[in-house]
Amino acid sequence: MAEPLLTVENLQTQFFTEEGVVRAVDGISFTVEEGELVGLVGESGAGKSVATSSIMRLVEEPGEVVGGTVKYRDQVIIDFEEGPDGERRPSDEMLSNKQMRDEIRGNEIAIIFQDPMEALNPVFTVGSQLKEFIEINRDVSGKEAKQIAIDMLREVGIPEPEERYDSYPHQFSGGMRQRVLIAMALSCEPSLIIADEPTTALDVTVEGQILDLVDELQDKYGTSFVWVTHDMGVVAEICDRVNVMYLGEIIEQAEVDDLFHDTKHPYTQALLKSMPRPDETVEELNPIKGVMPEAINPPPGCRFHTRCPDAREVCRRTRPVYQDVSGPEGYPHRVSCVKYESVGYEDSEPLDTEATAAFGGDIIEAQGESNE
Amino acid sequence: MSRLRYTIGRLLQAIPVLIGVVTITFLLTDAIPGDPVSIMLGPSPSAQQAAAIRAKFGLDQPLYVRYFNYLFDVIRLDLGESLYYSVPVTQKIMERLPITMLLMVSSFTFALVTAIPLGIISAKRRNKPADHISRVVALLGVSTPSFWIGLMLIIIFAFNLNVLPATSLVMPWADPSTVDGASNQIDVIITAIQHLILPTITLGTLQMAAFTRIERSSMLEVLGEEYVKLARAYGVSEGKILRKHAFRNAQLPLITIVGLQLTTALGGAVLTETVFNINGMGRLVITAIQNQDFLLVMGTTLMFGVVFVVGVIITDLSYAYVDPRVSFDGGD
Repeated sequence: MAEPLLTVENLQTQFFTEEGVVRAVDGISFTVEEGELVGLVGESGAGKSVATSSIMRLVEEPGEVVGGTVKYRDQVIIDFEEGPDGERRPSDEMLSNKQMRDEIRGNEIAIIFQDPMEALNPVFTVGSQLKEFIEINRDVSGKEAKQIAIDMLREVGIPEPEERYDSYPHQFSGGMRQRVLIAMALSCEPSLIIADEPTTALDVTVEGQILDLVDELQDKYGTSFVWVTHDMGVVAEICDRVNVMYLGEIIEQAEVDDLFHDTKHPYTQALLKSMPRPDETVEELNPIKGVMPEAINPPPGCRFHTRCPDAREVCRRTRPVYQDVSGPEGYPHRVSCVKYESVGYEDSEPLDTEATAAFGGDIIEAQGESNE
Repeated sequence: MSRLRYTIGRLLQAIPVLIGVVTITFLLTDAIPGDPVSIMLGPSPSAQQAAAIRAKFGLDQPLYVRYFNYLFDVIRLDLGESLYYSVPVTQKIMERLPITMLLMVSSFTFALVTAIPLGIISAKRRNKPADHISRVVALLGVSTPSFWIGLMLIIIFAFNLNVLPATSLVMPWADPSTVDGASNQIDVIITAIQHLILPTITLGTLQMAAFTRIERSSMLEVLGEEYVKLARAYGVSEGKILRKHAFRNAQLPLITIVGLQLTTALGGAVLTETVFNINGMGRLVITAIQNQDFLLVMGTTLMFGVVFVVGVIITDLSYAYVDPRVSFDGGD
């Protein structure tokens, strides 16, 4: 296999707050191949957005990347080494801040933010913002940059792009602004676009249009994507491969078909169960019980055991290993759950958790029914 | 085009406001206790003399007649004749207004030129030494009375060091022959600046302190906005983010405050002019009140009202210029 476009290994980002250290991203690893659309899925607070800003080295105080490696092709974005005093310090191979600005941000890795209403500067015209970023990241004249901007606005489906070029962001609807942000990312011709919940703030019809657009443009330009979302439906629609995050960790990773049809981790199962389905009429939806614990003080053992319908006593003691459980062929399917380890899960006592105790094990029942 | 339409609309709105200013000024002046006629004529005037004076100034007529007479006079820019100076009120105002305006413009310029960089540095170096210093400077500036600052400046720079003049102002456009030791216009301008420095600091310190804090907090807010993060994510340098992407948005709250601070500054001008013996609008108002010169009181109060209304209009217009959402139709 060719070298991946983006390699993230054991990335750790922490926030140093007055209440203590928040381990927002706690040792995640994944790769993005050329032309691939990789999903990063999880509930709010799982650390998805922190992970993406860490990759861009845009984490703001009091947050800090404290460990791990991020490589873009052969360029080292993040790396640590042991100093002479035994302290972990950023390695010399790392790109300087100036190199990050000039060589990576925008022209190699571009980003699309979650909230299109906030991400455009209200006091400048849409066109001038596009043009500025194109000029910074591509070797073109101002006139060419303007033409690229107009062409790209047309490409993402903005009607009358010549006129709209001089409009201000408040004169665009939310869906239109998100198209502008997509145009912005594509017009810098990056090899990788990080899309941080780009459709969450939009209504479902517009979301559908945007997803179709991205699909189409990705075919055309071959750009790789990291698609951050909490919506399994979106994942199913566009992703090639999926990473499921929970409380700062990736707990399952597989190709998208594999993940949906051969789900391993109880959290992923619960996420899938919680999705409303148009082909089923149900009395009530099946949310994941409880709320995600705070990353400042994560539960011992498996982090999901407090809400896991399958939790047993062993889950509280044992840190699951992130391991490959796939068959001999196909892309690796990794999961971190003690069910797939030989640490005595079968013999362990079932645990009273938020999922099993308080709600009488709804998820298990529902699962049983649908398996019949 | 829509900016022009907004401008015209805003100017038209000023007309009812100004009529309101005239009305309130007229009624308040009428309500002041004391009889201007008795002050004019001295003790124990004859009844005939008093009646003649009343008739001359129209004071024998009912309130509403006097009000409408005054209103129509004002529309014709006729503010009557000062009882104390025996010259038209407009002439007196035109004589004094440029002096006060010079002082105001100079102190607001001083305040903005110092406050904007200080505020930005504070925001950029939040909770670092530079921020703490600027916070202390701002706190001292807000809490020190301006007349005290004026007196201290006079003692230090005029008496002890003897480097700057402590009294009156010289207009930079004055005729060189009327200014001591000036042989040409450049000398006059230099003298004018020397005279301006201490009053400017006296009047401008309070505004400077207030503006610094506003600039700091709005800059901090804007630096946390998504569009600033977006600019960073597209490789824009920190310097350019400050100068371009954050700066314009961060000035919006400051513009509002500058407009509102005009009232404080007009009040401060009265004190500053007294301390520095400057013959501006502030001292004119005081003279008018002390002598029950009711036409002059109305005229000067009205003028302060006009200055304030004009200031607010300029504020609104610059707002519209800086933020397209204000002037364009179909905004949210």
